Amino acid sequence: MRKNKAMIFWFCLPALLSLVIMFVYPVCRTVVMSFFQVESVTATTADWSFYGLGNYFKIFGSASFMTSMRNMLLIWIVGGVFTLLLAMLMAVVVTSGIRGKKFFRAAIYMPNIISAVALATMWIQYIFQYDYGLLNTIVQLFGGDKVKWLGTDLKFWAMTGSFIFGSVGYYMLIYISGIEGIPQDLYEAATIDGAGKGRQFFDITLPLLKGVIKTSITFWSINTTTFFLWTKMFSPIDTESSTIVPVIYLYDMVFGGKGITQRDAGAGAAVGVVLTLIIIAVYLITERLFKGSDLEY
Amino acid sequence: MKKINWKKEARLLPGYLIVGVWVLFTAVMLFWILGASLSTSREIYSGQIFKFESGFHWSNYADAWNVQNVSVFFGNSLLYSVISCVGVLAIAAPAAYVLSRWEFVGGKALRIGLVIAMSVPVIMVIMPIYSLSVQWGIKGRVLLVILYIMLRVPYTTIYLLDFFSTLSRTYEEAAYLDGCSGPNTFLKIMLPLVQPAIITVTIFNFMSVWNEFFMALIFTSSESMAPVGVGLLNIINSMKYTGNVGGMFAAVIIVFLPTFLLYIFMSEKIIAGVTGGGVKG
Repeated sequence: MRKNKAMIFWFCLPALLSLVIMFVYPVCRTVVMSFFQVESVTATTADWSFYGLGNYFKIFGSASFMTSMRNMLLIWIVGGVFTLLLAMLMAVVVTSGIRGKKFFRAAIYMPNIISAVALATMWIQYIFQYDYGLLNTIVQLFGGDKVKWLGTDLKFWAMTGSFIFGSVGYYMLIYISGIEGIPQDLYEAATIDGAGKGRQFFDITLPLLKGVIKTSITFWSINTTTFFLWTKMFSPIDTESSTIVPVIYLYDMVFGGKGITQRDAGAGAAVGVVLTLIIIAVYLITERLFKGSDLEY
Repeated sequence: MKKINWKKEARLLPGYLIVGVWVLFTAVMLFWILGASLSTSREIYSGQIFKFESGFHWSNYADAWNVQNVSVFFGNSLLYSVISCVGVLAIAAPAAYVLSRWEFVGGKALRIGLVIAMSVPVIMVIMPIYSLSVQWGIKGRVLLVILYIMLRVPYTTIYLLDFFSTLSRTYEEAAYLDGCSGPNTFLKIMLPLVQPAIITVTIFNFMSVWNEFFMALIFTSSESMAPVGVGLLNIINSMKYTGNVGGMFAAVIIVFLPTFLLYIFMSEKIIAGVTGGGVKG
């Protein structure tokens, strides 16, 4: 087959331009901008003044940024443990030979395909609602007093809980595809050797899923560092310290929010760079921890 | 129908309970929202929603659609999703094809760049994009559509690339001998062959644009160009003053339906696509 250079060029050009305009140029500019003092996001480079690590000192010295990092870390760890464990549990159950496997798999994944704004609204306006909400109805059924799920104390956990519910299905699908890739004869041999279901899970399934678990941890990290929508839904008007996350901090800083007297795009860029470095660090660490996990079988 | 092996089913009982409770919870939530969307605010507050004593209040839907502007948000989202899906294919499919077929200078770099771009967080690109759009004077609907298209190019190209690589080269050789030009071969022979992949990737692009929120929030300057996500947030915020709970739930159902219906009919294809495409990369 002849190589048609003109065709290769014209066929690749639009994709190349998209990549450069949408990703390469902006990422580079954001990194550079994080070292400059830039007030408005639309300021031309002529108005930038070099600031060294000033933006980084500024954000790490800011109480609300540190709160947002703390919240993010909590979502990452607590949310991550619950989401990945629940996803693993669901994946094991769904592949255990139950009837209606396809139905259960589809139903558990469903929250991922609907608008997250709609899903969050369902949780806020129904499940956690004070007067007629599901949780308070159940609480009253058992003779308890109504709980303010969306009050300052519980809001963060209400948000994290509903976020977990919305995320489990996706990770379950990843684990299911991993489990279904494990050859069935391994389990048959183990059964003949007298290994119980639990033993089989810990000695066969889990070790062989290392690569998939690694992938899921990386995805979860990207997911939590870019966490934004759920905070916006749980604190729609004013940013609150109970639900603030770094992207919200960045958003308020760059595009204006309550309590921000002076916009600071340079600091916003620094937040972006910090979050990206966190993602890269998590990726490299899991890559190292799960080294040699891409087993062939 | 196989005979039910009760002993086996009994052993699986804990499993049934776990997934059963999870799915039941989801179902209760959806049915309640549906019921509430057909009730008056007073019925909702007094917990009377499934009796429908005052009948079905379809007026909630009319109210959401007309008064609360859901029709506008819905139209916008449809417009953004459909144009973006077509536009991204026009850019990604040709690139995926030549990348899968020939080795050329910069080809590998482009491919790696696209893979990396798939995991670049939006926050790293949003600020320069914002200033570029102001500088070039692009705004509103046009800007959003262009951004959605470019945002989906990496994923779509990589997804289609995998499928083009599975096709045999004999098709092109035969076409070449018949005097068919390169671009023509691509359009008339190769593109139809990857149709299943195009459908799957388009479903994903559609759902992703339909549900997109962050960019829409930043780049929609007026309510008239807001897509459903941003529109719904506005409705909820104003509900505090209007007190129209039923209308708000009707809006939730309207926003929820399109991707949900798509899912009902294509769940197998969608689920296969989730773990088939990008995940292993």
